Amino acid sequence: MPQYRTQGKIIADILATARDMNTDGQGVGITTLLRRGNVSYSRMTKLIVELVGAGLLLEETMERACKYRISDKGMMFLQAYVQFEDFAQSYGLRL
Amino acid sequence: MSCIKLLYEYSRGMSQVRPVGSDLVMFENALQFIGAFVAFSIALVAYKGVRETSSSSMLRLAAAFVFLGSGFVLQGLDGVGAFSSIPGLAVSVATILIAGMFLQTVGYFFLAFSHVLDVVVSRRLGPLLILFPIFAISPTSVETVLRSLSFYFILYGVLETALSYSKNRNPNTLMIATGLGMLAAGWWVSLAAPDIGLLTLLQLLMREVGLVALFVPVLRFSFRKPGEILNAPV
Repeated sequence: MPQYRTQGKIIADILATARDMNTDGQGVGITTLLRRGNVSYSRMTKLIVELVGAGLLLEETMERACKYRISDKGMMFLQAYVQFEDFAQSYGLRL
Repeated sequence: MSCIKLLYEYSRGMSQVRPVGSDLVMFENALQFIGAFVAFSIALVAYKGVRETSSSSMLRLAAAFVFLGSGFVLQGLDGVGAFSSIPGLAVSVATILIAGMFLQTVGYFFLAFSHVLDVVVSRRLGPLLILFPIFAISPTSVETVLRSLSFYFILYGVLETALSYSKNRNPNTLMIATGLGMLAAGWWVSLAAPDIGLLTLLQLLMREVGLVALFVPVLRFSFRKPGEILNAPV
């Protein structure tokens, strides 16, 4: 039986992609987020709007496409997520 | 008298030392307060988790340990005679004791309930949670019923946590499963042989070890270095 990801895990995956794949410092495109985040395009666009609205992702409009970078608030969320995921896992739970 | 000395005296079969009464009661009361401390510490960390990640698993964990901690406090206060010294409350000591046990049972239920909602395997094991109390209910007393229910809830938690360990191989999960296992064993001994001195001591020690094991993730959480999690993989 497949282990479905929780909403929190999907968000953490997207933020981690924005953190890890931003090698040139200009942000990552939606294609990279889609590939690494492993969600559909329609869901990803909705999530990105929510994450940008919550201040976890920073959106930068380039000439041809939007690029996304993780914000300081996003980094803090990610750190808290990693910490509490380990804590929850200790009790046999998923965050 | 220390627990080691008590065990030694028992193992040697020395008849002149029989600390079954007050020493064990004192030890049990101390255990209740240690249990309250551990439970509230876990609840605090879980509550921080709720605030920072809005996770429902953390909310259930926090609720479980708040109930458990409250139960421990009530039973501990009852044990040291805090309620019997207050004139109005003196008559309802038994009720307070039952309330403490009830809170603990609710706490263990939430702990088991978290697994039912969380782990996918629970879809297979979840019905066991409903079946167990049917066997647990006995007409003897409310206390026995609550103890039995607590025992089955812990047992269910042990099963689910052990299954989680088989999937994630996290040593902390194994420690929690072991801790819950020790608590369950302690409960079982207290149910099976409630008035035998040596077994009472044994079940208290098992519960003590179980509580210490439950506390380990809180310590790990509190003393984790920020550098360890800054670029940790998700």
